[in-house]
Amino acid sequence: MEAFWIILTGTLVATSCGLLGNYLILRRMAMMGDAISHAVLPGIVLAFFLTGTRDTIAMLIGAGLLGVLTTFIIDFLHKRGKLQADASIGVTFTSLFAIGIILISAFAGQVDLDQDCVLYGEIAYVPIDLWISNGGTILGPRAIWISGGVLILVLLLISLGYKELYLTTFDPSYAGVVGISVGLWQALLMGAVSMTTVASFESVGAILVVAFLIAPPATAYLLTTRFRTMLWLTVGIAFLTSTGGYVLAVAIDGSIAGAMATIAGILFAIAFVFGPEGGLMSRRKKQATLEESTVSAA
Amino acid sequence: MNISKKIQGLILLFLATITLGCGGNEKESSNRLKVVTTTGMLGDAVRNIVGDSAEVVSLMGPGVDPHLYKATQGDLTQLNRADLIIYNGLFLEGKMGDVFSRLQRTKPIVAAAENLDSTFLLSGDAIGKAIDPHVWFDVSLWRQVVLHLGEVLAEQSPELAEYFQDNAKQYAEQLVALDEEVATAIATIPEGQRVLITAHDAFGYFGNRYQIEVEGLQGISTLSEPGIRDVTELVDLITERKIKAVFVETSVSDKSIQAVVTGCRERGHEVSIGGSLFSDAMGAEDTPEGTYPGMVRSNVRIIVDALH
Repeated sequence: MEAFWIILTGTLVATSCGLLGNYLILRRMAMMGDAISHAVLPGIVLAFFLTGTRDTIAMLIGAGLLGVLTTFIIDFLHKRGKLQADASIGVTFTSLFAIGIILISAFAGQVDLDQDCVLYGEIAYVPIDLWISNGGTILGPRAIWISGGVLILVLLLISLGYKELYLTTFDPSYAGVVGISVGLWQALLMGAVSMTTVASFESVGAILVVAFLIAPPATAYLLTTRFRTMLWLTVGIAFLTSTGGYVLAVAIDGSIAGAMATIAGILFAIAFVFGPEGGLMSRRKKQATLEESTVSAA
Repeated sequence: MNISKKIQGLILLFLATITLGCGGNEKESSNRLKVVTTTGMLGDAVRNIVGDSAEVVSLMGPGVDPHLYKATQGDLTQLNRADLIIYNGLFLEGKMGDVFSRLQRTKPIVAAAENLDSTFLLSGDAIGKAIDPHVWFDVSLWRQVVLHLGEVLAEQSPELAEYFQDNAKQYAEQLVALDEEVATAIATIPEGQRVLITAHDAFGYFGNRYQIEVEGLQGISTLSEPGIRDVTELVDLITERKIKAVFVETSVSDKSIQAVVTGCRERGHEVSIGGSLFSDAMGAEDTPEGTYPGMVRSNVRIIVDALH
């Protein structure tokens, strides 16, 4: 069962993150996950000051609010401040993280208070971190419920708002012309991103979330030019990454999160070299045929 | 959409194989009690209590910082097979302790340090008091932990209860002797020189028990970076009181303490690095420092030699 729960959690998280990641990389905001992982620090510190505990619920609420705030600040700087998306992300998360560090060193030097200690989970603990009802019934690993719930919300958003998200991602000005509120859908997408990342941090840790947000969609991007296919491919890659990562982790008795992130990188590398659309091999072939045809034309 | 169908089918197939494939691996049968502990110090205490009658595994090996420890698949298997899990508690293990406190409802799990009476525990003075988890450096407190573990283990296997209790008492007596030994050794340091300066605040209980002032450069967490003012204040203190040595720790980087040494040198006061203390983890297995008493003795020897 251990293997099953870990692979299932990995797949659920990778699917939620990967699906949202498709939109992020096309909007040139791929580093959003990394940004949120740092920017939640002041939220954690403030939650601790307000509640006086390091309980997961308080930490999650503090981190969640800061996650949403981060996406809004980034969006504001990008849209209103006319700053490039990557620069907005860079400025926002470093400042927020720095505020967190200052709060800790000024007021909480005696407390072990950082994301690693109080927020980030570890995928290895999924099978033993069970959700037990008050009556004592074991309802399976907590992470399955959390990541399953998150995935349902992500799927709802994408299936109900498929057209709107598609248009606002590829052609925001046209979307505006046909009466789709670009701001609203941007806000919904970013809200989903911050909810997904913070909840996933708590289940599986930060490295995996950042990797899942970028690597599977980037791999899918190299394999197809159709957006719908890209989303489906992401799901398949998410599953392969999770399974392959677990097998690798067992083989080397190493960190499961590290192994999954490695597999995500390897799959990307394979797509990069052999991919039919953007891969090195196909590009070379295309160039060759192009040269041939130019030669024969001459 | 042809490709989507294919992917769907593939996923279902894989899930089915995994579910079916994982039904059979039951734990191997062994009559010996299996105890898993987080830190090496706890493992040492349990080993002294159970002797050869149980299998004891410590997840955090020599030199591992418990704040930064990450579990591997092998560790997970150990935890699953364990009949009893013992961890330090008081947030030493971070999120892992959180998981344990929930798992307590389905499996025998003990937070060894959390059983101590709260009057013995030290807490920081900043906003939001958090309790210092490094209880093992007060040998008299550790003795209480050992006695408590003796009871817990006796409960766990009633047929060996008497044996466990006896061992625990014997070991506790050794610890009483060790406690006195440490107190006498530290008392030989001239009073003005009795200041222990280390990289992070792991020695609060030690200082409290053996009357030696403790100044840490970092907070309790090994992740927080020391500020410029922390360094300057420490340099002021060292030059003012002409303290001879500062100490580094085996499981924490010594970069920041080097900055202090350089700072003192610039003010014309030569302070040496007294040696490397064991803080959050014990020494390598099969060396004297690989046991709890050996680790405490090594620390005390280094401190006394350097401050004399």
